[in-house]
Amino acid sequence: MPQLGLEFHLGLDGLSLPLVGLTALITLLSVAESSPEEPRGRLLYGLLLAADFGLTGAFLARNALLFVLAFEITLIPTTLLLAIWGGERRATAAIRYLMYGAVSGVALLAGVLALGLLNTNGFSFAYDDLAQVSLPPGSQRWIMGLLLLAFGLKMPVLPLHGWQPLAYSQASTPVAMQLSGVVSKLGAYGLLRFAVGMMGDTWAAWAPAIAVLGMVSALYGALNAIAQTDMRRLVAYSSLGHMGLLMLAISAASPLSLQGAMAQILAHGLITSLLFCLVGMIETRTGTTEIAGLSGLLNPCRGLPFTSGLFLLALMASAGVPGQAGFVAEMVIYQGSFTLYPIPTLGCLLASGLTAVYAVRLFNRVGFGRLDNALADYSRTSWQERVPALSLSMLVIVAGLWPNLLLGWSEGATASLALTHPSPSVLVAALPSAAVPQAAALLELS
Amino acid sequence: MANIIETAKGAGLFSTLLTAVEVAGLTGALESPGPFTVFAPVDDAFAALPPGTVQTLVQNPPQLARILKFHVISGAYSRSDLVDQPSWESLEGAMIPIRCAEPFEVKNTSVLSADIVCDNGIVHVINRVMLPG
Amino acid sequence: MTVLTSSAKALPPSTHPFAEVVERLEAGGSMLPDTPENLMQIIGIYKAYAVPMDFYWRDLLYIAEQVFLNPLPAFKYFPSQEYLDRPNSYQGDQAELRIWRGEAGAHPELLEFMEKGEIGKLPKLLHHLWHDRINMEFAEACMDAMLWHQGMGGRFNDYLDSEVYRQNADKAIKAYFKGNPLMLGLYKLFPEMLLEQVKKLSYVANLGLFWEVMAPVFFEMSDIYDEGGFSGVPAAMDFLVNGIFAVAGRPIYHQVFIRGECFEIIPKSEGFTWLYEAALPYVEAVFYRTAPFRGTKSYNAQAGQVPSEQSEFHYGILYADVFPVGSAGIPPTLLMQDMLHFLPPYLTELYLQHKRGEDDILVQLGITFQRSMYNVTSAVIQALRAALLFPLDDPDPEHLKANRAFFESQMDRFIRPEARLRDVQTEHYR
Repeated sequence: MPQLGLEFHLGLDGLSLPLVGLTALITLLSVAESSPEEPRGRLLYGLLLAADFGLTGAFLARNALLFVLAFEITLIPTTLLLAIWGGERRATAAIRYLMYGAVSGVALLAGVLALGLLNTNGFSFAYDDLAQVSLPPGSQRWIMGLLLLAFGLKMPVLPLHGWQPLAYSQASTPVAMQLSGVVSKLGAYGLLRFAVGMMGDTWAAWAPAIAVLGMVSALYGALNAIAQTDMRRLVAYSSLGHMGLLMLAISAASPLSLQGAMAQILAHGLITSLLFCLVGMIETRTGTTEIAGLSGLLNPCRGLPFTSGLFLLALMASAGVPGQAGFVAEMVIYQGSFTLYPIPTLGCLLASGLTAVYAVRLFNRVGFGRLDNALADYSRTSWQERVPALSLSMLVIVAGLWPNLLLGWSEGATASLALTHPSPSVLVAALPSAAVPQAAALLELS
Repeated sequence: MANIIETAKGAGLFSTLLTAVEVAGLTGALESPGPFTVFAPVDDAFAALPPGTVQTLVQNPPQLARILKFHVISGAYSRSDLVDQPSWESLEGAMIPIRCAEPFEVKNTSVLSADIVCDNGIVHVINRVMLPG
Repeated sequence: MTVLTSSAKALPPSTHPFAEVVERLEAGGSMLPDTPENLMQIIGIYKAYAVPMDFYWRDLLYIAEQVFLNPLPAFKYFPSQEYLDRPNSYQGDQAELRIWRGEAGAHPELLEFMEKGEIGKLPKLLHHLWHDRINMEFAEACMDAMLWHQGMGGRFNDYLDSEVYRQNADKAIKAYFKGNPLMLGLYKLFPEMLLEQVKKLSYVANLGLFWEVMAPVFFEMSDIYDEGGFSGVPAAMDFLVNGIFAVAGRPIYHQVFIRGECFEIIPKSEGFTWLYEAALPYVEAVFYRTAPFRGTKSYNAQAGQVPSEQSEFHYGILYADVFPVGSAGIPPTLLMQDMLHFLPPYLTELYLQHKRGEDDILVQLGITFQRSMYNVTSAVIQALRAALLFPLDDPDPEHLKANRAFFESQMDRFIRPEARLRDVQTEHYR
């Protein structure tokens, strides 16, 4: 609809390619993970694929309105997926998710419309045109605010994370895999594409605060994860923590940190999906995800040695142990962000250390120790059941040993996206919106 | 009066016991002046033991002697003497507890007939074979 | 001893936490419930246990009598043909008290396993190096348990500290090392060291003589069961009780053959009996106490995680968590692997149908073994009751009260949470 500026224009670049790949992979594996005897199997697969459709559309869009359309389309199937399958409180979780998601969608729509309509260079929603968007002085602030709201709700980051722990923990395994693995990346991608890509100068001005937000989010996620008694909630908070790290990377917006952000997107997508997949497998067999109710799963005779072994691997990856994907991402992020925002980086480093705490605590209780013979009345996982977890684990290891798998896709794109920041003291003085033209003069979009 | 061995022979109830004493080589000891207090199990007591028990013991005199010595206290004590103390040291070394005065019970046996006085001691007839422990 | 109900009802019901078990014992039963599956399990595992036991006792006596103080006993697990052929005093035509109807020498299944093992027909040394053999380490661990716990009743341990024993041992040591100035010099410098070794070997002989009896008992039980001769678990237990009494008087001794000459370190004339000096200490040391196994779990002794009193130790088979942690070298795991080779077909079939079938067959048979040892312990308890207390059908209530007090004091040892008495009452404990 040319009058609306809505063009069906799809394309791939370095940013979207890995994300599209991730979406496809996670959707495939989440379908594989679902039980073959699922009573409403066809509905489940249909909804998963519909969500996949929306997500892929969002990543492939080259038109901002198209992006918004796809963004909204994603909301419906994911809400239904949450509502129909999952834990006891899934209705609450779904409603909350829907509400937050609706707000996010509205904010996004408003922000994108503003971007397109207020663009002094002419009315267009195409990415190529929006790349050189020039906005009137007063509007940049609130447009950025809207975009931040929209994408921050999706990722999520503090303080917009209210829906996340409940949703992730109540979702059934395939849904959790998709939600945590891909849908959250929609937020990050949006930030990269819109906030950093199109409103780079404003982003640079806001970045110090956002970096602190990322740090707080990371610490909050990690600390909460340590306190959890349920495995699903623990993984949910862990995911939140990692998203904070991602926020830090995006806020720093240096070439290296953006590469790290892409790596983290991929790595976290793989690792969190893997964690939810394994927790799901454990629940299918043992019937519980309560940490207190499990022990000694590594027992070779009557436990789940294979699943627990992969679980250990996944937890190590989440904690950032070298040799796995998580380390690559974190390493690059820290290197990229440290010079710009040393304190937030240190805070996130601390959060990374804390991930090791909850990983060890969790596995110590669940994997090691003595298996209670009275409760150990379940069978081994079959090879068919192990395929999703196994493939994700192998990818995690390969990515850890061959970082190019994570970083190689998006080098060019992130380099072009990166912002050069003025020194912090200049930024502090330059924050008032009236100074935006001066900031624009100071900055160069390379 | 007869000595312990002769008294036992005369009673006609102790053929197994006497054979055992003979095999264990304790006949001479029980014919000696002593004096001794002997708790003598009747033949039915030995018969009540599971099959093979007596046979194994009879084939091993030292072990048999140990069991038999558990039935003997050094010194001659009548029933009234015995009930004054909760337990008595046997020749084997282990203690023989006096379980009850009325009816007269020693360890896990009932005394069928007490205070049979002999030349070299007193015999009390019991209804079970006693084992140390 | 028949199963009775009338006299047991003469007393009011027991108030013990294990009241049901106490009343079952008072009626002539076992701690293990009387079900056909229980009977099948325990008899099957007795037979699987008896075949390696046949090897254990022969090799133990070989070590105690022949290998003796060899400082480098590399081949102590290779008993000579003489010991493999040595007639068991309770089986075979020559036995004076024939418990088992079979032949006197080593069991044919044992010989077959020794030849073929799991990997096929190979020279003995290769089997040994591949560890495809009977795990004698288990027998030695049992001996170590008895040695370490020492004062558990009987005269054996005190005798080992006596002057007579020291003199006997001295003679044997000097004869063994005749012409070996190094070892004799060592003996002069450290007399206690070699004496300690001889004490250990006396315990080895003790254990060997103990198991020499138990093997034919178990074989016979298996044969009777195959003929359908056991009406239930109490009948099997009664057979054990009778066996215990029949052999109670067997002498325990230690004799050593040095260059053809026999040295009696513990002569038969000392009067040590199988019941008091071997069986009861063995049950106490191996069934109840034992010791925590190295390499499975860390215990903080300062935090009191290991009892300070030896009598409080509770690491025996009756308290065992039968999950094999998978580490090699833990004595029960060694025994389980031995038993695995000789399982009767009906037992293998049972295991394949439950839990994880072949994958966790070791755990399943370990739990069966635990059940069977509860039965053996019940037999020991009933035998002690018969020997030291009153018949089950005694008319005197005072006597019955004494019996009950005895049973309850025995059951008190199983109140602690590690005891498996509660678990073996149920069928789903596998």
